Amino acid sequence: MVDILDEVAFDVERGKIREFARATRAGDPVHTDARAARAAGFPDVPATATHVVVAGHHRDQRAFVAKLGLAFDRIVVGSVKWTYFRPLCAGDSLHGVRRVAEDVRKRGMRFVTLETDYVDNAGECAVRVREVLIERGQR
Amino acid sequence: MRAPVTAVPGRSLPEREVGPVTQTDIVRFAGAGGDFNPLHHDPEFARRAGFPGVLAMGQMQAGMLAAWLTDWCGVEHLREYEVRFVAPVFLGAVLRFSGEVTEVTDGVAALALRARDGETEVLRATARVVVA
Repeated sequence: MVDILDEVAFDVERGKIREFARATRAGDPVHTDARAARAAGFPDVPATATHVVVAGHHRDQRAFVAKLGLAFDRIVVGSVKWTYFRPLCAGDSLHGVRRVAEDVRKRGMRFVTLETDYVDNAGECAVRVREVLIERGQR
Repeated sequence: MRAPVTAVPGRSLPEREVGPVTQTDIVRFAGAGGDFNPLHHDPEFARRAGFPGVLAMGQMQAGMLAAWLTDWCGVEHLREYEVRFVAPVFLGAVLRFSGEVTEVTDGVAALALRARDGETEVLRATARVVVA
């Protein structure tokens, strides 16, 4: 199954990188100091590894859950896998397309695997995120 | 780019301790990440959902573990990061991050990582990192 579930667009911004780095206790100065970032070979401050989580601000979580026919109060995220093709840096504009990669039922539970490719302005995928949602059975 | 770290199988990463986790930590992550599910900031709502109190969003501790990893190896050298959410994290948790190199093939190290709150494992993760 390769249904498009939702799409999201957002800009990678210095201020949000700093905010997210602080919230996750990242200590590497490249995330907050443009000079340190350039000295390390980045064009601008790089985002931390899980930065695209900020797309949560731009998504309607309830809408996609409803679209999948999942019960909002019975879902847990089982795992998340990130594949990096290049570091994201401030100034990048990303477009994420989320698809259903797998949807299976086992042991009375439903496992939905979603895959999002975050593509940059040049059309290249910078990071791919695969998340497995688990819908627990009704008690 | 910066030089990658050196790694051999069996090498342990320097551990990090974060905590005790406060409501402020959770609210700060909500602001940064955009997850405003009341389970993470409304104690009454969390209790009605069957939890002893608010719980951190899994992405908070996943992001902290990833940040700890890239503080060590440099974010530009990270190729893959996969995290499994094993147990919820509640207020007061003291998270201890640890990990070791399990394999090195063609300049890429495989790592096994975990976060524990006391004796309870809360996250289990793997990563692939370019190394010297």
